[in-house]
Amino acid sequence: MKKELSSSESLAIITDMIAKAKQEAAGDGSFYFLLWGWVISICSFGHYALEKAGFEHPYYVWVLVLPSVFISFFWGIKKKSKAKIKTHLDQVLNQLWIGVFMGIVVVLGFMPVLGFNHNPVILLLAAVGMFATGSLIRVSMVKLGAVVLAIAAVVAFLVPVSDQYLVAGIAMILGYLVPGYYLKNTYRERV
Amino acid sequence: MSEFKPLDPLLHSQLRLAVMSLLISVESAEFTFLKEKTESTAGNLSVQLDKLEKAGYIEIEKSFKGKRPLTTAKITKHGVNAFETYVNALKNYIS
Repeated sequence: MKKELSSSESLAIITDMIAKAKQEAAGDGSFYFLLWGWVISICSFGHYALEKAGFEHPYYVWVLVLPSVFISFFWGIKKKSKAKIKTHLDQVLNQLWIGVFMGIVVVLGFMPVLGFNHNPVILLLAAVGMFATGSLIRVSMVKLGAVVLAIAAVVAFLVPVSDQYLVAGIAMILGYLVPGYYLKNTYRERV
Repeated sequence: MSEFKPLDPLLHSQLRLAVMSLLISVESAEFTFLKEKTESTAGNLSVQLDKLEKAGYIEIEKSFKGKRPLTTAKITKHGVNAFETYVNALKNYIS
């Protein structure tokens, strides 16, 4: 430890340590994508199928969202308490999705005002969140997911409200679950 | 040609440089993380962290995680400047 460092040794230490910190900070990042991708697509398809089947209250299926909110919240707390480092990126991503979530809550609160055309608006909010996330973590597949969600929002605006659930379900699989599994599978390669 | 500036002796040491390089990449890091990544002993790491803190390059926060004591380190603005100056001086030596 006391020996004199050469310039190249110093440089090697710096690059090695920055790479190690980056590796630790990168994380998997796919948990929320997979959780919400599955929950929202199941609920959307469920709502669509129940409505087509003539069920009186197809929206009952959305009760699945409640446990997901709790799982998201407690998983976030657990992850934070286990993490040995804090990064600015984690904080920014966290704040971004809290913002998106708040936007969605407001939209849901005004469903009747929107004539129940809330699905396309939520898809747009999710698209903005996805695009910013993709840009921050530098993963093009996530940005591509955002484009899929935005296109789906436009399509949803053009179809009747009942069909918007089918569009939303498909959009969540292609624009949310696909990037989620991509992140999960490429995690080892990225770090 | 620019003159060779002397390298900051506080940073020109294997372990202290490793710690600063880790801290420059994150918001804050726990003692165990620094120990694991630098592959140092707890005793030596404590001594070097103390030196960096006294120079104002890092901030050390002691708290508790459950019942276990927790030491967290964070680079200061002064530390970031010192690190950047060190890297720039290093560039001169290499080029």
